[in-house]
Amino acid sequence: MAVPIDVATGPGGPEPTPAPAVAGKAIEGRSLGQIAWMRLRQDKVAMAGGIVVIFLILVAIFGPYIVQNPLTYHENLIDPTFSRPFGTLGGISTAHPFGVEPITGRDLLARVVNGARVSLIIAFLSTALAVGIGMVMGVVAGFFGGWVDSVIARAMDIFLAFPLLVFAIALVGVVPSSAFGLSGNSLRIGLLIFVIGFFAWPYMGRIIRGQTLSLREREFVDAARSLGARGPYILFRELLPNLVGPILVYSTLLIPTNILFEAALSYLGVGIIPPTPSWGGMISDAVNNGIYSVDPMYMIIPGLAIFITVMAFNLFGDGLRDALDPKSSR
Amino acid sequence: MVTFIIRRLIGTIFLLIVVSMITFAIFFLIPRLAGQTTYQLAAQYVGRNPTRDAILQVERQLGLADPLYLQYGRFLRGIVFGAHYRTGPTDTYCPPPCFGYSFRSQLPVWPQMVSDIPVTLSLAIGASVLWLIGGVSIGVLSALRRGTLFDRFSMAVALAGVSLPVFFTGLIALELFSYKWPLFPNVQYVPLTTNPLLWARNLVLPWVVLAFLYAALYARLTRAGMLETMSEDYIRTARAKGLPERKVIFKHGLRAALTPIVTIFGMDLGLLLGGAIITEVTFSLHGLGLFTVQAVNNQDLPEILGVTMLAAFFIVIANLVVDIFYAVLDPRVRY
Amino acid sequence: MRRRRLYGLAAFGAAAALTLAACSSGGSSSSSGGNGSGAGSAPAFNSGVTSVVNPSTHKGGTLTFDWRAAPDSFDPGNTYYAADWDFARFYSTALMTFKNCPGACGKTLVPALATAPGVASDNGLTWTYHIKSGVKYQDGTAVTSKDVKYAVERTFDRGVLPNGPNYFANLLGGNAKTYPGPYKDRSKNLMGLTAIDTPDATTIVFHLKAPFSDMDYLLTIPQSAPVPPSKDTGASYQTHIVSTGPYKFQSYQLNKTAVLVPNTEWNASMFPTVSQLPSKIVVNMNMNPNDVDNRLLAGDAQVDFAGTGVQAAARAKILSNPSLKAQSDDPITGFGWFFYIDSQVAPFTNLACRQAIEYATNHLTMQNAYGGPVAGGAIGSTVMPPTVAGYKNFDMYEATTKTQGDPAKAKQLLQTCGKPNGFSTGLAYRSDRPTETQGAQALQQALSAVGIKLTLHGYPSATYFSNFAGVPKYMSSHNIGIAMGGWGADWPDGYGFLSQLVSGPSIVPAGNTNIGMLNDPKVNDLFTKAQGITDATQRNAIWGQIDEQVMKDAVIVPIVYAKALIYRPSTLTNVYFNQAYQLNNYAVEGVTGS
Repeated sequence: MAVPIDVATGPGGPEPTPAPAVAGKAIEGRSLGQIAWMRLRQDKVAMAGGIVVIFLILVAIFGPYIVQNPLTYHENLIDPTFSRPFGTLGGISTAHPFGVEPITGRDLLARVVNGARVSLIIAFLSTALAVGIGMVMGVVAGFFGGWVDSVIARAMDIFLAFPLLVFAIALVGVVPSSAFGLSGNSLRIGLLIFVIGFFAWPYMGRIIRGQTLSLREREFVDAARSLGARGPYILFRELLPNLVGPILVYSTLLIPTNILFEAALSYLGVGIIPPTPSWGGMISDAVNNGIYSVDPMYMIIPGLAIFITVMAFNLFGDGLRDALDPKSSR
Repeated sequence: MVTFIIRRLIGTIFLLIVVSMITFAIFFLIPRLAGQTTYQLAAQYVGRNPTRDAILQVERQLGLADPLYLQYGRFLRGIVFGAHYRTGPTDTYCPPPCFGYSFRSQLPVWPQMVSDIPVTLSLAIGASVLWLIGGVSIGVLSALRRGTLFDRFSMAVALAGVSLPVFFTGLIALELFSYKWPLFPNVQYVPLTTNPLLWARNLVLPWVVLAFLYAALYARLTRAGMLETMSEDYIRTARAKGLPERKVIFKHGLRAALTPIVTIFGMDLGLLLGGAIITEVTFSLHGLGLFTVQAVNNQDLPEILGVTMLAAFFIVIANLVVDIFYAVLDPRVRY
Repeated sequence: MRRRRLYGLAAFGAAAALTLAACSSGGSSSSSGGNGSGAGSAPAFNSGVTSVVNPSTHKGGTLTFDWRAAPDSFDPGNTYYAADWDFARFYSTALMTFKNCPGACGKTLVPALATAPGVASDNGLTWTYHIKSGVKYQDGTAVTSKDVKYAVERTFDRGVLPNGPNYFANLLGGNAKTYPGPYKDRSKNLMGLTAIDTPDATTIVFHLKAPFSDMDYLLTIPQSAPVPPSKDTGASYQTHIVSTGPYKFQSYQLNKTAVLVPNTEWNASMFPTVSQLPSKIVVNMNMNPNDVDNRLLAGDAQVDFAGTGVQAAARAKILSNPSLKAQSDDPITGFGWFFYIDSQVAPFTNLACRQAIEYATNHLTMQNAYGGPVAGGAIGSTVMPPTVAGYKNFDMYEATTKTQGDPAKAKQLLQTCGKPNGFSTGLAYRSDRPTETQGAQALQQALSAVGIKLTLHGYPSATYFSNFAGVPKYMSSHNIGIAMGGWGADWPDGYGFLSQLVSGPSIVPAGNTNIGMLNDPKVNDLFTKAQGITDATQRNAIWGQIDEQVMKDAVIVPIVYAKALIYRPSTLTNVYFNQAYQLNNYAVEGVTGS
């Protein structure tokens, strides 16, 4: 499956264009951050995306406390002959604004909200893992160059050679249901975070490496060096602040990819273990029980949830990238 | 040039070996690290509900208790020379490349994969043609008509396309165009050689669904690339020289913008050849992707191993082709 | 246990179209006249359960079977799917078979390859059968008793042929314990199994370890169908089976398509229980289940091979359309879904704790999980479903009267067993089976109402019994006290259904199906007693007693007696449900043009 990140100057692409802006050592005027923020604010669409993102995060954090219990069965709302909810649109009513699940009668709104929590946790943590490893590897490779760079570049090639989805499925199938001291969903979530994050680091790594390589040759690094600065100083005070921009942008663009990835894994049956709800898992249920023909809402609602979440992150990420890139004029 | 290719080829083989080692280690090491016994591992090789005797026989036969390097050596030898398996009055010879023998389906793994490759190939290549043409042209047009309604609309659709999960669009397409309004009933794979028209008709839905996702991606990519290229100085020079606009766009602008597209296309195609898993599962197309999912379901380790290796092989080869192509295009890229 | 088709990830549920061929009223291919009823009346909903629908002797046409999966093997000696056993009669002839009639009559044993049911001697330790003379393989060579012995010998090599049941290795005497199978057999003519004698070409004698009165039933299994030693190629025999039935394989693309054509060497007068009506039989495998349903409804295929019912979409279509509904049947198949309570895992060592589970279970949500009353089944209260010979109707824990459970009573029992506030334990289920996944969740939810906290553990079906739920040590060490399960009898009497589920001696360290770990001397004694009784009626009465005792011991909680909504296209002839095969009787079906 393709990794649907925008790759123009994004992860996985060829050597990307050099870093967006020079470090804001301007004497007067605004810092890079302020400039970027101003440009971002003017981008209505990106702001809308950002607001939706924040809303979703809030829903994921606080939602489960507000909605009903996602595990409670309401068998009286299900037509047993057809295994689907009574009423139209999957049983939408005032008591159940999104309707109920077929077969079980569980409140769909509650399940979607709880699914948001799971999806976002996995997406954020796996992104953090990918960014963490990618950053370290990329900076080290770009900064030290030479054989260190070759080795790390080779390693990235090897990781990129792994068919990601195949591997994730196979790996989840291979690891027993209780291992390494964990079991059940905690093991599964940990495994998913590991697989998604660990195999995504080369994308980040490549970008960071590219950025570091080009930054290294910039005048301000030379200037710092001529002033007597040594390696670590240059690394931490000159290079890293300039990497914050790209890291932020590509993290924001990596998150939706990971959301889709986790949804795909759940859809294929190697994701979250029931009864914990997950968006991909709900769609998978709809298919496996053949229900989606008789109760399409059960598939459409989680699907839309995924779509809106991913779209919001993409919009915001796009806007962020545009804001941080002085060459782009919208 | 030739030395460059040879060097890359050697690098590729080395890469494949490393991938095979890691894959092998994962499938044989991780279960052990997680506390599984070789008996339990053997049970994953045998047919369903195996008896204790069957499992012990298989354990012995496959040498699962041997040290890892020995097993890996046997695995490599199988790929290069083939292997023998006891399947009755005479042994079955599994010719190279022998990725193992699936006791569950009582077939060597390689022939099973080979029979599934045409399906994945049809799906991948058909979709890739669609998305390359569709995505790139929309991207170019959007870049040229930047800011217009066309641009905004197509980019909005592209963003939506990138944000929709493939299985979601696939399921909706299936429900609407295959079941509700039987425009494409019976989405089943018909081999190209049997009936080309039916082959194409049954693949239209999967092609469109798959291509939609990638076309959206490529449209965005192309547009961004074009915008960047078209704002370069040499484009202005070309225009100043008096070249017709068409030539400026295609010969100078697009060509430069296309290089990253080509790289990504190579990688995407390589990935897809390993199995467009989600699309195949959604449309029940019996390609490598569905094979993978079923292998995992059945806990069939030889099959899982075989298909992972094959998928990795496609990716690595695609990488190689892209690198060579790059080297041909861009003389700076020789190292 | 005969398997239902497993649901893979890509499987969207099982659509089984079992269409049974009805015995034609013209008395051509049926075994006895006057079987079934209503032959000739317009078919209605459930006609196929009690009568032969669309009886006809019409020959010709192509009978198309669509299947969402593929066989574990077409090799009669290497298969354990109920649908395979039903279909195998087209190309293989076992010693015994079942009568061609709907209803309970279909469980009657009649000889197939044998001339008559077996003759027991030596207090039931020896069984003698005579084979019909003049039976030929598809290539014209004669079938001898040695071929039957060879077929049984093949079941001993589990490394090459791992799929079929294991009865012969467990029941036969002589050197059965150490016999390595024919591929390692060093004796002359590969006849090294001393437990079977073949004094002449048409006589075969089985020597058993202990008396076994169900021998006739055992020999209905396709494993007893003759296989010529010279043509046997082990694991690849399934690609060129030598047929003794009315059809032979013309082509077989593994896991894709199989085509069968009439076997000219087959003698119709010798084998009245199977028919040779269609001029071609086609089996399409690994199809999308929704496609299978659509093709059935459109008439492009006649039978859903799996026999487990249509998908939810087709179900909605069929049940809301009266003319479609009249072309469908909803039989009780003989398969039972239930869950085990492992009596060796604390606190289930205490009877009251187990009984608490029986009362706490919400049978309604469980039934919904398995598909509801039409597609899933009727709420069960006994281990054996009603179609098994020996079924006794009782309801010890008010499952059918208090369908949503009795939490108050459950809490009382928890008090009695010393766990007034509930406890925690694990629940094992097969994660690639959608119904079982739903059932596990429903059970978890129901038990939480009385304070019992279940942790779900999903395992793949392929290794469920061999590595997890069927490994008693694993269950105890992981504190998994409950396991989902199901059973379909290998033959339709109490022994076939119960012996591997609840008898003490059937407990094994791996691959165990007595997951309740029941070793009740009362139950074991009843089994032994039954094996000594030759009179069928007397014997059947004992199965009911065993069922009752097992329910008293509360190691099994029945969920549903499975039902399947089966669609029969109007072009299919001789359709009816056979309780022995738990499917429609395939081997008598034909196809007409209209």
